[in-house]
Amino acid sequence: MTTLPAPAAPATPSPFALALRRFRKSRLGVIGGWLLAALYLSALLGGFLAPYGITTQHQGFEYQPPQALHVMFQGKPMRPFVYGSKTGRDPVTFAKTSVPDTTTPVPIAFFVRGEPYNFLGLRTTWHLFGVDPGPDNNRFYFPFGTDQLGRDLFSRTLVGGQVSLTVGVVGIIISFTIGIVMGGLSGYYGGRTDNLIQRLIEVLLSFPRLPILLALSTLIPASWPSTYVYLGIVAVLALIGWASLARVVRGQVLSARQVEYVSAAQAVGASDLRVILRHIVPNLSSFLVITATLSLPGYILGESTLSFLGLGIKEPMTSWGLLLKDAGNLQTVGLYPWLLLPGLFLFVAVLAFNFFGDALRDAADTQSR
Amino acid sequence: MMHRSTPTLLMLSALLLSGLAAAAPKKSPTYTSLGVAAGKAGGNYTLALGDSPQSFMYYGVIDNNLGLVAQQLFDGLVEFNLDTYKIEPALAESWTISPDGKVYTFKLRQGVKWSDGEAFNADDVVFTYQQLVANPEARAGDAGNFVIDGKKVEIDKVDANTVRFTLPRPSPAFLLQQRYFIMPQHQLGKFKGAEVNNAWPTNTPPAEIVGTGPFKLQSYTPGQKVGLVKNPNYWKTDAAGTKLPYLNSLDFLIIRDPQAQVASFLAGNIDQLNVTGAQFPDLKQKEVAGAAFKVIRSTALFGSPPFVAYNFDAKDPALAKLFSDTRFRKAMQLAVNRPRIIDTVYNGLASLPGHGVAPVNKAFYVNTTAQLGKFDLAAAGKALDALGIKDTDGDGVRNVSKGKNLEIDLTYGTDSSVYPPMATILQNDFKQLGVKVNLKGILSSKLLSTGLSGDYEMILHAFGDQPDPELRKPIWQPGGSLYYWHRSLQPAVDGQTPNIAKMQPWEKQIYDIFDEASTTTAAAKRKALYARWQLLFAQYLPVTPIAKPENIAAISNKYGNYIYNLGVIPGYNPVPLVYQK
Amino acid sequence: MLTYTLRRILGMLPTLLIISAVCFTVIKLQPGSFTDQYLEDPRFTKETVAAITRQLGLDQPAIVQYGRWLWGVVTRLDFGFSFASNAPVITQIGERLGWTVFVALLTLLLSWLVAVPLGIYTAFNRNGLAASVANFLGYVGLAIPDFLVALLLVSLTLRLGSSNVGGLFSPAMIDAPWSWARVGDLLAHLWIPVLAVGLEGVAGLMRQMRASMLDVLSQDYVRTARAKGAAQQTVIWRHAVRNAINPLISLAGLSLPTLISGTIVISIVMNLPTIGPLLYESLLNKDQYTALTLLMLSAVLLLIGNLLADLALAWADPRVRYS
Repeated sequence: MTTLPAPAAPATPSPFALALRRFRKSRLGVIGGWLLAALYLSALLGGFLAPYGITTQHQGFEYQPPQALHVMFQGKPMRPFVYGSKTGRDPVTFAKTSVPDTTTPVPIAFFVRGEPYNFLGLRTTWHLFGVDPGPDNNRFYFPFGTDQLGRDLFSRTLVGGQVSLTVGVVGIIISFTIGIVMGGLSGYYGGRTDNLIQRLIEVLLSFPRLPILLALSTLIPASWPSTYVYLGIVAVLALIGWASLARVVRGQVLSARQVEYVSAAQAVGASDLRVILRHIVPNLSSFLVITATLSLPGYILGESTLSFLGLGIKEPMTSWGLLLKDAGNLQTVGLYPWLLLPGLFLFVAVLAFNFFGDALRDAADTQSR
Repeated sequence: MMHRSTPTLLMLSALLLSGLAAAAPKKSPTYTSLGVAAGKAGGNYTLALGDSPQSFMYYGVIDNNLGLVAQQLFDGLVEFNLDTYKIEPALAESWTISPDGKVYTFKLRQGVKWSDGEAFNADDVVFTYQQLVANPEARAGDAGNFVIDGKKVEIDKVDANTVRFTLPRPSPAFLLQQRYFIMPQHQLGKFKGAEVNNAWPTNTPPAEIVGTGPFKLQSYTPGQKVGLVKNPNYWKTDAAGTKLPYLNSLDFLIIRDPQAQVASFLAGNIDQLNVTGAQFPDLKQKEVAGAAFKVIRSTALFGSPPFVAYNFDAKDPALAKLFSDTRFRKAMQLAVNRPRIIDTVYNGLASLPGHGVAPVNKAFYVNTTAQLGKFDLAAAGKALDALGIKDTDGDGVRNVSKGKNLEIDLTYGTDSSVYPPMATILQNDFKQLGVKVNLKGILSSKLLSTGLSGDYEMILHAFGDQPDPELRKPIWQPGGSLYYWHRSLQPAVDGQTPNIAKMQPWEKQIYDIFDEASTTTAAAKRKALYARWQLLFAQYLPVTPIAKPENIAAISNKYGNYIYNLGVIPGYNPVPLVYQK
Repeated sequence: MLTYTLRRILGMLPTLLIISAVCFTVIKLQPGSFTDQYLEDPRFTKETVAAITRQLGLDQPAIVQYGRWLWGVVTRLDFGFSFASNAPVITQIGERLGWTVFVALLTLLLSWLVAVPLGIYTAFNRNGLAASVANFLGYVGLAIPDFLVALLLVSLTLRLGSSNVGGLFSPAMIDAPWSWARVGDLLAHLWIPVLAVGLEGVAGLMRQMRASMLDVLSQDYVRTARAKGAAQQTVIWRHAVRNAINPLISLAGLSLPTLISGTIVISIVMNLPTIGPLLYESLLNKDQYTALTLLMLSAVLLLIGNLLADLALAWADPRVRYS
């Protein structure tokens, strides 16, 4: 036998550390996780990263294609810059045209002052990057181009992400709260409460999802301001989401109730709520986290479908679904394809959630290894 | 006073008198100005239909898609000249109007046959008017138009080829309205009262659906297609005397989604499609690149110019007072950037609007462009300052009163290609003026009901233009049933006198103009009255018109004699002239 | 088993009653009225609206309207009148039911045929290139909204110069009698909607199958079977697949209502003569009995799907017994 350094007696890793180690092994899961972190960060810092306001209309720059970033000007390297452009109309087809003006470079500046926005309740004018609008106020940098009204699509995509990415989170918080409470009550008390809640769940589960979603979203009064509409959409999405979760929670609670430490806690006179929250819910935490991650894409896609059908988010708010609605026609695909870019964000977000959630599930699942 | 309708008719009557023909087909005018040439017979033409027709009974369901099909199956007593929009004979060969303007006698065209071979006669006309058009139980009838001042219009058969209408008082637009499709008594006579609504359901055998129009029904595949074939008994010929229609068959493909319609057109599955200014560049680019179709711009009379209306009876009393003030509406008009809207929203394919009358309507239009003013935020600001609407608390928004910002909700349709960008542009420009606009998007189909309910502050909406202002009286006459920006003028019951006491002086003037014009028979006097109305409209702005969109159509190169056709305009049907090259 | 089935069916009735009441309330709570959509028509007057409202029974209190509908359903299977189509709701649904079921079943069938073998394959070859690609495509299928898939497919078809966009047939074939040419035409049109609707289903099913397969493979009995020296084929088919497919049976039951709802968005974009757009439009237009009946139909399909799945499960899995 060749001599190997004697392994030190390994400390038993905690289940969490084990799961984390397994999670790290999933390359897609890790990528998904980082993508999500990046997306949420960009949504959080939306106002700072966005060079312009989402409702600011740059007249004369309608349907401007994305501007490429250059570093070489007339053969010489230079700090990153873009070319300004002149927009016009094709005399025959009436299509918007844009001709880059390659004589003058417009350098990109970092940490510039621009339009005011609110960040965590603070009003500020700092933006990560921007360009000097010039004496005639006609120099701009639109990384993703502009829409029909000359609004910067990059800024709109970032800020739209705030809506699209939070619809799911807020919705999950609502539906999980209801689901956990109802499922917990049902499983913990049993008897008549259980029966009643089970009936309710059964009825709710018998509602077909998309049709009832459509029916409920036509209920949101058109006269509501857009923030209420947003909450209404979230509520609608969440309202039909909690039932299946409650059913699982009930099952878990039922089995957890038999476990000794719960009986012990009950015996020493802990209150019901305390028993549910302190002893039963933590047992379910990994299950809940995974379910949440995997059901988030449903919310994001649900919002986009509703907005596409004109029943979702409305101007002046914006969301990826609403931005896609603007792009969802043949003439845009043909003439102004950059308006589909928000679709890419939606795609990446949903993909990342699935990667991440699957990896989490695999990591938490010790059986199938 | 006798009215001979047109020179063509004189000529036709002369032919009749000389005994050349017992049957008198109508010769279509030459329409050289519209580019119409002699066509060749045969071929098939496919159009899009926005949804399945709900029934084949035109007077039983209010359904635009049925209307599109029905106008190929049926005709009225009179029709429009496709070029001048003047009234011409159709199933009626001629007519006379009594000197007091109350009795209309229509002489029916001789020798017209229904598509099943039965003869058309006065009984069909009397049946259509009595049991369908003037039947209050018929859902898509027009009974309201046959009760004038609380008295019924009498409809009598004089002889087999003559029908007489007796009105309680003169009504100069009455002739224009007689484009109602005439239906066959021999097929429908058995339906009475509300039963007519259930006649001719979509599963009726096509042979039973009988008309006098250029085509007849051949097949209907639910949710997919309505197939029509040439009616060999059609009563019209082209200018050279060749029987119309040229086409052998006409198909309607049922395609709900406008995008899917465009896709089908591009794929060559449908041959003609009406599009919007937003779709023009893409299609035109394809045409320039050699696609086998043309995109045509035309300034047709029909079509709906959008306007913005302020609710004189807004729930908020401060806003109601402001909105009722003409000075405010005129100030806000200066902040409506019409050139930018025309450029951005319509891709430049629109023009400045008229006031209640389309600029192309030579018979009535008065040039009011000077009153539209120029986009000028500074001037608008000054005008608001003069009204005492200033930003007193320095938050960038003007104040209606101390501590109360000038905030207006703008209701618009979200599922449209024009309203959302228009609303956003208004919001943006008004903001620079210090007027905060909150957008309230609703479905476009709900715009009118929202307007009528009065539950709005400011609304973007549109009403179609018509050749004669009398036809738009319920919209533009103060107190009319669709005059919803000042609802408190409307009478409790339709047809009663509106609340004249509450009218502003200029509204009273407009009200009187419409009342006077509706009983005036002299054309020159009517024109003068409506000219005064347009000027009052432009000056006092009951609503602020924004732009008159051009009508744009795409048509496959396979076809000739295409004339723009907005949709369902009874009596305006250029399809019989279309031919396949 | 029979008593169990009967009990389940009887148990559905109160649930359906509650669902119908809730759906009716939701429909009634929408602002506006069915007749709103006609207001633009110049022929429309207040008398007409009054006449229509009376004829349709909309002047009655909501509870009376609901009661009459329910009575009609219970006593003579009359599901009311579709205002918008001027025909009984049943006729309306009947006209579209054939194509709806055809498209949906075809999609369902194809997605199963593709997804189940793919799921098994990817479970066995977890690290192979082909499996990774299939897996990734599965993720992609889940991540693109179906309206976007349809739009991109239409755009692509047009660019390729094909005329098979939207609808189920070419215009000339719509009312032609059945022939091989017509079947070919149908197939040439059908692939886009089937692909657009099926993509999402395939992705979900494949992942489910893979997970369930992995689960089963680690079970003791599979290991025992392998240890006993059973042939690999036998292990896969007799033991693993047979057990792994059980969770998918429940899933299949749940997917029954997608017969109606699965094709709503695609049918609107691709112009298919199916029930989906009917539901969407009846909701928007407040065509209350049509909307109500369609919502009920989806609910019934869901309940029946659940029941069928449970019964199938009992048949397929000897461990499941109902008493």
